[in-house]
Amino acid sequence: MKKKIRNIFYIGTVACLGLFNACNTSDLNPSLEQSNREEDAVMSVSDMQVLLNGALNRMTSSGYYGRDYIITNEVRTTNTFSNGNSGRFLTEAGFLYLPSSVYMWDNAYAVIANANILINTDVESLEGNADLGLHIQGEAYAIRALAHFDLLKTYGQQHVGGSLGVPYIKEFKGDNDAPTRETIDSNIEDIMNDLEMAYNLMSEDYYDSSKEFLSKYVAKAFESRVAVYFGMWEEARDAAKLVIDSGNYTIISEGEYVDSFDQDGTGNSIFELAFSETDNLSSNSLSFIYRGGTYGDVQVLPNVENLYAEGDVRKDILGYEGELLRNMYKYPEQFSNVPIIRYEEVILNYGEALLNLGQAGEALTWLNMIPMNRAKTPDDPNEDPADLTYSEATTENFLMERRKEFIFEGLYYWDLLRNEMSIEKVDALQNIDKTIPYGDFRLAYPIPLSELDANSSMEQNPGYGI
Amino acid sequence: MKKTLHGLLTLFMVLVVQLVFAQEKTITGTVVDEDGLPLPGVNVIEKGTNNGVQTDFDGEYSISVSQRATLVFSYVGFASQEIKVGSSSTINATMVVDAAALDEVVVMGYVSKKREDMTGSAVQISNETLQQTPAASVDQALQGKVAGLQISSTSGTPGSTQDIRIRGISSINAGNDPLYVINGVPVVNDNLSQDNNGNSLGSSTVSPLASLNSNDIESITVLKDASATAAYGARGANGVIVITTKSGKAGKTTINVSSYYGFTNNAIDGPQPLTGAQRETLYYEGIYNDYGAEYGFSRDEAKQFYEDNLGVFGRSYLDWNEQGRPEGNWFKAVQNEDAPMQEHVISATGGGEDHNFYASLGYYDQEATVIGASFDRISGSLNFTKDISENFKFSTANTASHLYQNGILEGSAYFSSPHTAKYFMSPLDQPYNEDGSINLDTGLPNPIFITRNDVDETKLTRILSNNSISWQTPIDNLSFTSRFSVDYQVYNYKTYNNRILGDGSETDGDGYVISRNTATYVFQNSLDYGLYFGNHNFDLKILQEFQKFRRNYIDASGNNFAVDGLTNLAVAGNPTGAYSDFTDWAVASYLGTLSYNFDSRYVLNGTYRREGNSRFASDRRWGDFWSVGAAWNLHREEFLKGSDFVNNLKLRASYGKTGNANINVNQYQVLVNYDANYAGAGAGYPPQYGNPDLTWETSRTFDAGIEFGLFQNRLTGSFAYYKRESRDLLLDVPLSMTTGFSSQFRNIGRMENQGFEVELNGNIVRSEDFNISLGGNLGTVKNEVLEVSKDLNGVEVPVTNSSTSYQRSASGTMVNEWFMPTWAGVDPDTGVDTWYTDASRDEITSNYNNAQRVYQGSSALPKFTAGLNFHVDFKGFFVDANGYYAGGNKVYESWHLYLNQTNGYISSVYNGYSTLMNRWQEPGDITRVSKMSNGGEPWRYNTKYLYDGDFIRLRNVTVGYDFKPQILEPIGLTGARLYVRGMNLYTWVKDDNLQHDPEVDATGFTSITTPPIKSVVLGVNLKF
Repeated sequence: MKKKIRNIFYIGTVACLGLFNACNTSDLNPSLEQSNREEDAVMSVSDMQVLLNGALNRMTSSGYYGRDYIITNEVRTTNTFSNGNSGRFLTEAGFLYLPSSVYMWDNAYAVIANANILINTDVESLEGNADLGLHIQGEAYAIRALAHFDLLKTYGQQHVGGSLGVPYIKEFKGDNDAPTRETIDSNIEDIMNDLEMAYNLMSEDYYDSSKEFLSKYVAKAFESRVAVYFGMWEEARDAAKLVIDSGNYTIISEGEYVDSFDQDGTGNSIFELAFSETDNLSSNSLSFIYRGGTYGDVQVLPNVENLYAEGDVRKDILGYEGELLRNMYKYPEQFSNVPIIRYEEVILNYGEALLNLGQAGEALTWLNMIPMNRAKTPDDPNEDPADLTYSEATTENFLMERRKEFIFEGLYYWDLLRNEMSIEKVDALQNIDKTIPYGDFRLAYPIPLSELDANSSMEQNPGYGI
Repeated sequence: MKKTLHGLLTLFMVLVVQLVFAQEKTITGTVVDEDGLPLPGVNVIEKGTNNGVQTDFDGEYSISVSQRATLVFSYVGFASQEIKVGSSSTINATMVVDAAALDEVVVMGYVSKKREDMTGSAVQISNETLQQTPAASVDQALQGKVAGLQISSTSGTPGSTQDIRIRGISSINAGNDPLYVINGVPVVNDNLSQDNNGNSLGSSTVSPLASLNSNDIESITVLKDASATAAYGARGANGVIVITTKSGKAGKTTINVSSYYGFTNNAIDGPQPLTGAQRETLYYEGIYNDYGAEYGFSRDEAKQFYEDNLGVFGRSYLDWNEQGRPEGNWFKAVQNEDAPMQEHVISATGGGEDHNFYASLGYYDQEATVIGASFDRISGSLNFTKDISENFKFSTANTASHLYQNGILEGSAYFSSPHTAKYFMSPLDQPYNEDGSINLDTGLPNPIFITRNDVDETKLTRILSNNSISWQTPIDNLSFTSRFSVDYQVYNYKTYNNRILGDGSETDGDGYVISRNTATYVFQNSLDYGLYFGNHNFDLKILQEFQKFRRNYIDASGNNFAVDGLTNLAVAGNPTGAYSDFTDWAVASYLGTLSYNFDSRYVLNGTYRREGNSRFASDRRWGDFWSVGAAWNLHREEFLKGSDFVNNLKLRASYGKTGNANINVNQYQVLVNYDANYAGAGAGYPPQYGNPDLTWETSRTFDAGIEFGLFQNRLTGSFAYYKRESRDLLLDVPLSMTTGFSSQFRNIGRMENQGFEVELNGNIVRSEDFNISLGGNLGTVKNEVLEVSKDLNGVEVPVTNSSTSYQRSASGTMVNEWFMPTWAGVDPDTGVDTWYTDASRDEITSNYNNAQRVYQGSSALPKFTAGLNFHVDFKGFFVDANGYYAGGNKVYESWHLYLNQTNGYISSVYNGYSTLMNRWQEPGDITRVSKMSNGGEPWRYNTKYLYDGDFIRLRNVTVGYDFKPQILEPIGLTGARLYVRGMNLYTWVKDDNLQHDPEVDATGFTSITTPPIKSVVLGVNLKF
């Protein structure tokens, strides 16, 4: 018995030793030293700025405005083709994309998610300057509208004879995580509403001269782009007019044109995405795909050389790398900012809106404002600069001027489509065998297979099988 | 069990004891087996001392002992016997085969068990077997040795990781790697070559196991079923690999020296690239096919058409012809033929009555089979055990090592990798200029220049220290052990792209470095209690464990380097990035395990473990895991006792629940991250959906088997059946990307693995100086996904493999089953590829877009694996051979778009394989290779490039000679061995169309980067 008691004592001692080292659930809490819990992430207006930066940063990804969204549009036109040097953009340039491609679907909705965190925030409850908070919220509305607009252009059925647009997401982690596609009309309405909201929330007090953030009139500039795309000419005219009347922006002069792409925040820039020497996409950048021997897949088609009249300063954007015709001076460096919307586009939007509203004379004035600023000053002072202006405002001339002005910036493809034009085969080097007629199913991108897998409410575009 | 351990310990001591004591009496005698044949190598020990000898080749021994001594005779496979020394000075003994025969003690991590007392499935591999595979990383030696264990090299680069799967795949998205345990302590064994997010770097992988010297390892045990893994149940769902390092052996200090030196080459040659002339032929044919009809020229006029349209086609072929058609042999230019490998180890072991030690120093050095990559390691270890007092024992095991890997970019088809260069470089480009200098004017950056001027290196210093103190309490058979272990790793990675050519040329050179320190601590306290009365034997263990992992991570980058040849960031003019973070995780557990046997006849085992893991929210953190097992040793029963035929016969079964928490940290939380920036300011974004309900993935395993030993254990073997159902899978459920996220971790889904395992070993000839043995193992695995998630509409969401969208998992399929359109051959009339439109295979289309993806009924996971071992020895000469088979799976050829299709990539940009010369040329041609065109093509994954993965590999062959003691004694040696060892000398591949090495990593894609190697080494072992 005595021994038994002693045994119990020993066992007890040892058990206590064990318990001394015992640990409980709270010992297992992981450190969180470089992230915040979401509930702690938006406590002040300055936190809102950080999340807005997050949305803008997502726009700079190579899958979106950092490269792919601009290049995919550009290589589908008669401006450029893919030589396949690194195997990139052959699929896009050949209109051979399949549902397995996710393209910018995920990037754009990730931008929208960041914007929705801000839009869903009750600014009044935060610390800090509420006006600034509302302005940031306005920026978020404009970003949300632009991302949805890009999605609608890419995936919507407006050029393939359907009525479906894309899901318009207004809530971060909302109730419905298997949304259906809405109609094109409903998308347009939401986009215009968001832009109106953005315009109303943003304040001129926070005008950003670096152009790397959104200012009040960025919303109207976007609005003019959206309205032109869908032929809503009155809205386009009114929105463009407000931007013009703001007096914040100027057309870049012929002398500064080429150089302006190497500079940040120039006078003609309305909104651009920031890249820098320390924050850029390196080998996945636009400059890397337009030039160089490592990638350099996107080459300029020969017909572009004949696009510009002698003396047009924009011809200097072109150049040769060995025997290859290249875009040499748009996105000249990996760290060059990427313009999203320039004042020249607003001018042309305004002019084209006037033309379509029956004011052809007025429209010509606005159309010619661009070529008037694009003729080189001749070396010989006795010589007159070339006359690049148009004698008549027509849709064709607007289209031509826009192609010349915005070449390599990814806008021409949308201009062709909105004018119900085909993608012509004009050069042997183009990646397409023959002309892609307007209405062809490939003018709408396939909804990604991974989206269809995860969301049975989603409907594929015609022509892509599953 | 304790007794066995003690016996073994004594046995070990005796092996090395050479001490001569002052004697009182000398005993001599002969030891024979039941047939009267002399038994050499029998241990004869004076009981209770370190005094002992071994019998010689005639079974004779001579030992000086005290008058009242007892002699203990022991020999593996025989029952040991004790004989009291009497008046006679001659003691002869007859050894009787032990019924239990293999009193092998299986080290299972926390506990060690006699094989008889086991109810689960485990395979133990000795140091000698491990030594048969000369490799940087010890896990490579497991291939073919364990039924149900699949292992494949992810890369032939020395020191890189291996993919190991035990009994299939239990998880879709959580890890499938087994848990590694070193000396009773779980260790982290992730690929070291990772960035802060755990994503693999582009360069060679680095296995932490490569820091261990395989000579220091006593044994590796692979635990397969729930009963065996039970102690690690919480993390044991993928199996457990238990590594035990050598401990000291008391007695006179013995020194072992082992060295080998040899050469390595790629295990198989792989596809041959096209020559320039072949490529040119295809190019002109492509022009004819593309433009001939439209522009009205004939096949023979294609060359002329090319020369007439240089503006469109470029001048490359014209220039090449003008230069005299020189063939650029890149294959040869990047090869490091007969790359040397060597290893040298010296170790010592010894000790006295109350202490013993093992110490070693090792050096390993290996070059890769291409230029620019190598691996070396220097390692040291010191293991020491000391009886502090009668009841306290202190034990420590320490390893320190430094490894250096000069790696290469191999994570993808990097142009800068010398391996990929032999296929991607155009044969029209020359490696060298005529003056012998490196040609810098090549289509892709010249890899010879790149490997000489770029840097890609990993340095790892690892210190592993395991210390314990045990107290034999005053209560009989109750002991307490406290253990502390630390695994400290300092990892440095540096990459540099030179200023002149390649990826760094645009930015005047760029550099990137990572510095990462990790420390993993483990605290363990355990109580062992044994209760033995009558035939009832109870062994109880209670254990408490806490493991904490801490990681400090820093990386930095810069470009615009000031000068050539200096590659550190100090020389970078423009710093481009700086980042640091700290992460940790912790695991706490409580374990109880009870073993009971009745007369060693009936065995019952039970284990319970409760474990908490910081990867889950506080209310979901803890999981309960358990197992029960039973075994019946029939040979202990009266009706088999003394049977000549059956020496060992055991039936066993077990069932249990194990877990898996192998996901990234903090997945359950809803977070905002700030490791992004915009316009020079910090940027926040939500990195993951988060799920506070996240908890353990569990598996339930049933395992039953029979083990037997027949004819004096000349034939031994086992048969096992297992079935494992995994539930509440940690599934990365695909989300609609409209949420802003692509997936969310949830506990959804079920999966099942089942199969059979057979092991058979026969001693065909067993005699004094001639032995032949043959053994083999076979494992099968049948995998089926039973359930995955559903979306809001109740429609099942198939899970696409995160690494490739051509592998999917849905209910009824295998996990990551191949999912792609089915190829229907090349149309003999038109020469184009065709595909079946759907699974019915009724209709054929030449439009890939009209071909549905279908499940292919196969996955990358081999359904069968087998190993075959052969041993013969004759008068000191011996041959060991070991083969490995894996099959029943399919593997996919990576990069076929750029290298193995009749398109512009192979004729104008890169280069193709010579098999493309079999292309379709005219109507009626029957061939696998379609018509040549110089156009571009998009990726079209289809079964044309999905091959049978079956292969047989002669894993290793060793031919050697053990010198006779008679020869060695005069020169002061106690043992010497000379051998030649070959690894992967022969490979058989079932599918003729599979040109690449069939041994691919777990993703199932062939590699053009670094294939497995074959080696031949000459080695010597000396003992004195």
